[in-house]
Amino acid sequence: MTPNSPPVVITGIGSVSPYGPLAGLIPQSPLEPRTITAWTTAGPRRAFLVQPFRAASVVPGLKTRRLDRLSAWALVASSLAITDAGIDLDQVDRSRVAVVFATAFGCIELTEAFYLSAAANGWNGTDPSTFPETLPSAPASHVSMFHGLRGPNVTVGNKYFAGETALIQAASLLRHGQADLAIVLAGDALAPTLYSWYEVAGLLSPACYSSEPLPEDGGFIPSEGVAAFVMESSGRGAIRSDARSYASIRSGCWAAGGQPAEIIRHMLGGSVPSLTVCSGNGAPCATSPTTALARAISGDGAGIILPQPFALGLAGTGALFHLILALSSRPHNGQAALLATAGDGGFAALLLELL
Amino acid sequence: MTDIHKTIVVTGVGVISPYGIGLDCLQAGMLSRKCCLAPTQDVYPGFEGTTAQVRGLSLPADDSSYRYSRTDQLAVVAAQDAIANSSCDSSTFHESGVVMANTVGGLTEIDTGIAKDPAAWYRRPRRLLRGASYPFAHVADAVGEHFGIHGPRCAISVACASGAMAIALAANMLLDGAASIILAGGSDPLCAFTLSGFNSLRALDPNPCSPFDQNRNGLNLGEGAAVLVLETLARASARNANVVAVLRGWAMTNDAFHTTAPHKEGSGLADCIRLSMEMAEVGGDAIGYVNAHGTGTPLNDIAEANAYESAFRGRNHPIPVSSTKSYFGHCLGAAGALEAAVTIMAVRSGALLPTLRLTNPIESPGIDWLKGEVKRQPLPLAMSVSSGFGGGNTVLIFGSGRS
Repeated sequence: MTPNSPPVVITGIGSVSPYGPLAGLIPQSPLEPRTITAWTTAGPRRAFLVQPFRAASVVPGLKTRRLDRLSAWALVASSLAITDAGIDLDQVDRSRVAVVFATAFGCIELTEAFYLSAAANGWNGTDPSTFPETLPSAPASHVSMFHGLRGPNVTVGNKYFAGETALIQAASLLRHGQADLAIVLAGDALAPTLYSWYEVAGLLSPACYSSEPLPEDGGFIPSEGVAAFVMESSGRGAIRSDARSYASIRSGCWAAGGQPAEIIRHMLGGSVPSLTVCSGNGAPCATSPTTALARAISGDGAGIILPQPFALGLAGTGALFHLILALSSRPHNGQAALLATAGDGGFAALLLELL
Repeated sequence: MTDIHKTIVVTGVGVISPYGIGLDCLQAGMLSRKCCLAPTQDVYPGFEGTTAQVRGLSLPADDSSYRYSRTDQLAVVAAQDAIANSSCDSSTFHESGVVMANTVGGLTEIDTGIAKDPAAWYRRPRRLLRGASYPFAHVADAVGEHFGIHGPRCAISVACASGAMAIALAANMLLDGAASIILAGGSDPLCAFTLSGFNSLRALDPNPCSPFDQNRNGLNLGEGAAVLVLETLARASARNANVVAVLRGWAMTNDAFHTTAPHKEGSGLADCIRLSMEMAEVGGDAIGYVNAHGTGTPLNDIAEANAYESAFRGRNHPIPVSSTKSYFGHCLGAAGALEAAVTIMAVRSGALLPTLRLTNPIESPGIDWLKGEVKRQPLPLAMSVSSGFGGGNTVLIFGSGRS
């Protein structure tokens, strides 16, 4: 994927997050972590949590009762993104629509439920309706089923850069003509097993335990939610003259090591983005390797949009939210980089044109 | 004229299966029609059924900071075998990509105790490391870290089509220039979680399965891993590599129909087959053999038969089809990669493997159900078909490296 490839355009945005279910950009407002009440914790524990809502009140006719929350959110977010893009799926060849979903932990809530049923009833007494809903690919499958989308359906994982990987894979499907339109989703849901792992591993910010202002937090505040983009090849975007374009993706790369600056410069193909949107891995961006890398690529004068704690809390699947929140802050048009680093875990970068 | 920069070739194949390690081992076992499916009782208390297990092989051990799940172990062994057979040293792979599929992830490392009190479970020795292996992406990191590979890594999980899709997406990545060489495949072990799940769905045949038989009664689970070394023909030629096979076409579709059942007419799969042949620029007559998904479940096999009838309509002769899950079971996220290896084996050897225990096939006049003895014939092109829960389909077409 190089800058010489035809760009793909983001024409719709939807999300389910602690901001609620939203089509389009997210209004700028401060977000505070909330105390977890969905399960018993050893004292107050906080996270950026999606507040319960009726999916059918957002997407009429949507039934999510037996689904993992991640599947339900994927359905809602994809519906909102399609609406935001102004696409009437009845006018689209649905065999040419791909779904690409990024997740780190998949349907962890129903996976826990399946383990609980095994603990209670033995492995021979587990619930048949739960098992298929535990698969990491279940959310993407439901998106295809609900919207009748018969193109490629991909669920991708990557420890640090799952969201970026999904964007690059979706762009690749569009550029190779394997789809005309792609619904790209990324996200995760919190559950006791995941939150406890973070806690026992010592990764949580002090802000998870107290609402008092803290000067320089170590650790991070876990988050949950799903973001969705509608992505179209530029040819198709041109046909849909009424399509709104948030940004186009010109190129992208990721790697687990090597020389990030060198590899990213090669990917940029001579472009020097005037703005870097930091995606990231929980480190305070102002002093992080991500910022240093941004300056190495674009120089000291380039702008940097620091990541917001909510998106950082999504670990490897936060890229789409990082980009939505950056676009919501109304940056100037022009070339921008979406950039993430993870220490020894590598880096990911996309060259964008903000429109 | 072939564009060597846009032609994807296989220059190494690594396999760990119930037959042992290596493609030659797999080939010897399958050509002798040895069935690895056997009565099993030890996967979890109370389970009685039939599975195919990898036994008696040395698998990578943990160190103080890294926990290999069984998924990771199988993947690393298959990758090691692929690298060893790729006619290049391991340093060649320093900047390579890794695209690994699975469905089980680190579920093998977790027991039911985690759900009751996760914090207490994690505080026991080495349980944090066990938990860290849970995400399905861990297997790509396990392969990458084990071999010091620093290129782009990701994992794919699309149920039983995972292994094939990892290969298809890796081919896309090579065309994109994301990496110059990629290890791509799938790995999945037997585990209580998935065996219990399929058991709860009443999808398991208690005896060795009989895919495509009118009296088929379900599937058997197996375990293993397969990894292909993929690169462009240009790169392979430049380093004078042995081209094992050419990946001539690939396609991915979704049924958009049901969580666990395929579309009964197999329409999504038929579309996928057509798209793969379009990419390969061949018609149905050019395909000499189909290695089918062929799970042995009533719904899958009839849908698949309908897909072949539709996609290969107009052929001069019935399309030869077999399911090699009758030899070593359904390896879930590894199935598509293992069956890609079997398909490559067929292209190389010209041996068309029969479906075992197939006595009374589904009536399909357009299909030549391979049964009985191994057939031998020149095989320029063969197809590997994968489908899965959630409606995913992936089709790969392999040609002889000599072509």
